[in-house]
Amino acid sequence: MLSTMSSAQKSNTAFVVGLLLVLHGFFVVTLLVANAPLEKTMGIVQKIFYFHVPCAWLLMLSTFVCAAGSLAYLFRGSERGDRLALCSAELGVLFGLCVLVTGPLWARAAWGVFWTWDVRLTSSLLLWLMLVAYGLARRYGGAGGRRLASAMALFAAADVPLVYLSVNVWRTLHPTTKVVSSLAPGMRLPFFLSLAIFSALWGVLLTLRMRVERAQSRLLELTIVVEDAEEKSP
Amino acid sequence: MTYVALAYGFIWGAVFTYVLLVGRRVARIDAEIEDLRQRVKTGS
Repeated sequence: MLSTMSSAQKSNTAFVVGLLLVLHGFFVVTLLVANAPLEKTMGIVQKIFYFHVPCAWLLMLSTFVCAAGSLAYLFRGSERGDRLALCSAELGVLFGLCVLVTGPLWARAAWGVFWTWDVRLTSSLLLWLMLVAYGLARRYGGAGGRRLASAMALFAAADVPLVYLSVNVWRTLHPTTKVVSSLAPGMRLPFFLSLAIFSALWGVLLTLRMRVERAQSRLLELTIVVEDAEEKSP
Repeated sequence: MTYVALAYGFIWGAVFTYVLLVGRRVARIDAEIEDLRQRVKTGS
């Protein structure tokens, strides 16, 4: 049957299968997280960790992909790179928002406050704001908006190592990066599976968003061709 | 438990909203394609 399908149909089938696998994966992860052992001091609130950390990882990954696409656009004029940068920046804003909401919920239970101007929290907020600024520059930046946004993406990528290493370099309230390697054996499988499923969701959303962006740019090209033809016709 | 439910619910809500927004964009592109098709049809 597959041999009689067009490449577009195969691609759509692969996309739907991927989406169903991710949804099934989320169901399995939810069950695993629900059955994971309780952390002694934090109790059930620690379970936020299983979703908070994958979202933080995707915020950083999205920023790096956005910067890579921006580099391709700035130095090679790659339209595909530009589309990749835009789509991954959007996903960075999405997962960054999840980090900035789930983190304070955990912090309220752990530290007694929703927010503190800790270096990890502040640098993460800055990273998210840079990705928001990237989107705003593209939308409202006028003719040079795309190039300006691409340069901003490079600055955002430079903030990622600061975000990641801040907890090891400075004294902060936030747990260090060693927290993952020191997880209890019963917590490792749900955590790494959650990480994998969130990453798969990111891949599916990026593919979907890239397709929409490509369709949008093709439509724009066709509209220009049709308008040219209409002007030339008597 | 409330905080865990809020965190989990927020993530699902955010992803769902994002997919809805992308879906709306797809619907807009479909409408523009249809509009373009009509223009080509009337022009030919």
